[in-house]
Amino acid sequence: MRRTRTGWLLLSPTLIIMFIFGLFPFIYVLLVGFNDWNPFSARDGLTYIGVDNYRNLVFDNLFLNALGVTIRFTFFAVLSELIIGFLLANLLARDFFGKTLFRIVHTVPLMIAPIAVGAIWRLMTIPGFGPIPYFLDRWFDVSFNIGTSSDQAFLSILIMDIWHWTPFVTLTMLAGLTALPREPVEAAQVDGANRWQIFRHITLPLMRPVILTTVFIRVMDALRTVDEINMLTNGGGPGTSTRTLGIHIFRVVFPQTDYGYGSAMSLLTLYLTIVACWLLFVSLTQVRRNN
Amino acid sequence: MSKTLRKVLSYVPTYVVWILATLFTVVPVWWMIVVSARSRVELFNAPTLTINSFFIENYINVITDRTFQGYMVNSLIISTGNALLVTVLALLATYALSRFKLSGSDNIFFWTITNRMAPPAAFLLPLFLMFTQVSNVRLGSLNFTLYDTHLGLIMLYCVFNLPFAIWLMKGIMDGIPIEMDEAAFVDGATTFGVIRRIILPLAAPGLAVTAILSWIFAWNEYLFAATLTSFRARTITTGLAEFVTVTGTNWGEMAAVATLTLIPSLIFIAFAQRYIVMGLTFGAVKD
Amino acid sequence: MRTTKHWSKLAVLVMAFMLLVGASLTSAQDDTTAWWAEAGAQFAGVTLRGVSESTPASNYVKDVLAPQFTELTGINVELETTSWDQMYDKAIRDMEAGTGLYDFVYIEQDIIYGYLANEYLVDMTQALADNPELAAPEFSFDNFTTFVDYFKNDEGHVFGMPMEAFVKIYLYRTDLFEDADIMAAFEAEYGYPLAPATTHQQYTDIATFFTAYGEANDLDLWGTTVQAASGHPSSFYEFFESVAPTFGVYNWGINQETWKASVANGGEMNSDAAKEALAWWLNNLQFAPPESTSSTWDEVAASFAAGRAAQGLVYGENAAWIATDATRSNVVGNVGVALPPVEPGVMEAAEADTGYIGYYDGGAFGLPVSSQNQQATLLWLQFVGLPSVQAEWAAASSRIVMEPTYDDPLVVAMDEATNGYYSLMQDQGYLFAGAPPFPFHPQVREAVAPFIYRAIAGEITPAEALDGAAAAAEAELISLGYGS
Repeated sequence: MRRTRTGWLLLSPTLIIMFIFGLFPFIYVLLVGFNDWNPFSARDGLTYIGVDNYRNLVFDNLFLNALGVTIRFTFFAVLSELIIGFLLANLLARDFFGKTLFRIVHTVPLMIAPIAVGAIWRLMTIPGFGPIPYFLDRWFDVSFNIGTSSDQAFLSILIMDIWHWTPFVTLTMLAGLTALPREPVEAAQVDGANRWQIFRHITLPLMRPVILTTVFIRVMDALRTVDEINMLTNGGGPGTSTRTLGIHIFRVVFPQTDYGYGSAMSLLTLYLTIVACWLLFVSLTQVRRNN
Repeated sequence: MSKTLRKVLSYVPTYVVWILATLFTVVPVWWMIVVSARSRVELFNAPTLTINSFFIENYINVITDRTFQGYMVNSLIISTGNALLVTVLALLATYALSRFKLSGSDNIFFWTITNRMAPPAAFLLPLFLMFTQVSNVRLGSLNFTLYDTHLGLIMLYCVFNLPFAIWLMKGIMDGIPIEMDEAAFVDGATTFGVIRRIILPLAAPGLAVTAILSWIFAWNEYLFAATLTSFRARTITTGLAEFVTVTGTNWGEMAAVATLTLIPSLIFIAFAQRYIVMGLTFGAVKD
Repeated sequence: MRTTKHWSKLAVLVMAFMLLVGASLTSAQDDTTAWWAEAGAQFAGVTLRGVSESTPASNYVKDVLAPQFTELTGINVELETTSWDQMYDKAIRDMEAGTGLYDFVYIEQDIIYGYLANEYLVDMTQALADNPELAAPEFSFDNFTTFVDYFKNDEGHVFGMPMEAFVKIYLYRTDLFEDADIMAAFEAEYGYPLAPATTHQQYTDIATFFTAYGEANDLDLWGTTVQAASGHPSSFYEFFESVAPTFGVYNWGINQETWKASVANGGEMNSDAAKEALAWWLNNLQFAPPESTSSTWDEVAASFAAGRAAQGLVYGENAAWIATDATRSNVVGNVGVALPPVEPGVMEAAEADTGYIGYYDGGAFGLPVSSQNQQATLLWLQFVGLPSVQAEWAAASSRIVMEPTYDDPLVVAMDEATNGYYSLMQDQGYLFAGAPPFPFHPQVREAVAPFIYRAIAGEITPAEALDGAAAAAEAELISLGYGS
């Protein structure tokens, strides 16, 4: 009994800070989400409107568009990072001269502030003097304009995210591969299995916990990406093609000052994120237990 | 074909991939440095990967700017303060989670991470009100709010860094044999004595990673810093966003600021590169 | 010998005169200094805080005027200069929550109606009448140009201290427009002489011509700038505030009696004229440098300064540096100014004050009701509004809010360098107008803008965009409680 109290005592500073700065805003947003509140409306203050905000969300094209953009972005970005990172890690798993240098170089993007990542890629893609549109036009006669083409803009945010986060996947995979036990592979080689079979039936299952952890963390972060996309495409353009949920919520809550609706929107977003992450988390712990 | 030749050839794909991947990683950063070396009238020149003349004024203007110096100092104070606070709290919390049977500790464990999932924009409004109103303490002529203080951001960043730190440290804490603390308790040590003398040395590498990564996350944060500060506690990332000014976007100086922002992270990479994987996967993947 | 004598006499005379003038000036200045020191004494040590957009005009306030004021009165002034979006977010949150963080906030002309409707601001006319001891003798709201009218309520009380004003102007490259070979080639092709466009057709002709000219001569030169950042509100503004009015569509096409936007309900947002305007504007994109669809107000000026466009609509605050600052501009000395091109009848309507031809932009400092230091702030804002601080400020950041500033030698010199930007603003500024008096300005903008963004990206036609925009505007207006 006394020992439990010590435990809670040690935990309490953490809990207090998390309650004040994590839970209080959450409760506030929850309450505001049931109200109509825009300081620039003809009405004053908050008006309780029940779940109307949530009902409207379902028919709000801009919100649904942002949800779609976010899901597509997360899906393609994480999938590409996973494939590229995994392949890179496999190629680089052996010892070779220059491995440490590779790892150091590949850690750099991970440490750059997201807003600076956005700035870097804006400089890369800016029509007029960015190298990407310039050389694509010169060498391949391809017109690349991130301000005009929705597809190219979406591709650009994907490439930016891949640039930013593939090293993370590569490095975790590399760590996972290095830590794999050698015996099962050697036994399979003795049995005459080819490289694909070894990969399919031995490496992949053994790597599952690492892969799932990586996916879990990447999905969680990709869903809430704001700074770098906002910086790169100047607020989610062209059109609304790169307007992710994070950017859309920001525009609704701040420039549009629609506090009630914006709160409902963020709460729904948070809920969807938690559900997605919870599913991943459960499958993750399941795999851990099975091993 | 000789055996050595085949062996050499087998390295070719590795090195080709090595070079391509490295180029992809390095070129954007290098281009940023190239832009930071261009004056405004040279900006629209054709892109080159060489720096023909270094327009050092971009850097000098930034570094000698008093506002910018202030931003830099603020970022240093906030990142360092946050890293220390997070490390200490995570040490205590994970010790509690690892050594005591606390009811609901699994849920607490997962709940901490949900704080990292929230769309940040939505929580700006309540946090702003909390920083300006709820925390408003008036003692005589002293009028204190969390708004625009280093302390406010240091504590706020705990919401994002503590979950990461707790997840990372939990694994490390579980890996320290409980017999070691029990032996110390038998010798009459207090809980804090055990944490200080037994746990601290054994968990030191993990704590270092926690501190470094918390530091970098805090250094890199933008949205909250932009909203919850005004003059006194404004950070370097908000300065970066502000460099896109009204009189012809000043890309050269902006690139110079971005380059300067990068430097502390590079220093840390040099020291802690080995542990970064473990840190970024919250301890799930050991390197 | 004789000449020398005359010269020396003259020199003595001049010196005596200067001494006299100097003496009288000094004594006048002493009076002033004493008044400010006395008025400020009771607030000495107080720190006033403000927020503004990081513009040359605001930076001048921060770096020059604030220290001067502190020296005079002992009152400290801290001005936070930040990005345009951040400035609004912060100011509105502060005033809405009544936090009292800011003692003065930058009010762009277009947001004043929202602030007035929410009663965020102190009535400065009233406050000065109530506190005569704080009213500086050299200060008067009457010194300002008519721009101050935008910051008045129905009774004529002032709620914002004007600090900058510009017109969004038609800039063109004089070196290109006055080149004999180019002029001949243009006239041969289009059958009329090359001159700054007065109609939209001429504008398009010129844009077409110079884009082809740039291509033929392998130059990085295009026919026009377009402020068409798809995803950023600046593109919304160029269309609704600078282009639509020249087609006779005013006030964003919103009917201010019924608060409706669609033609079916008595608005004009999706009228034929508006659709024609959007189609014309989007058509210009093919004659614009490739960065145009990423260009906000900053980048349009940067493109023009880099010499990448032959003509364009550019915010006037940039005119001075584009025309004179060789460290930032490649077109120094080659900048001409003119009125924007218009449809037939629009110029007449503007002259008769039943319409306007473009955007008269600017801002003021307002005093939030939530400020804890209102009296000290009143002093500070009057200082910013003193006639004596205007000229140098204008030279530093091409903004003018008082009539006499136009005659200051510094400004006259700038006027020559810009080929007459300041005289155009002085003589023909009345043809331009600020944003419509909407108390819901950013809200409707945010609802409408995505349709303009999508039209720029080519996802929908101009007609579809404006039909959708009108419907979205009406929905937003209803949800805000305007119209039903």
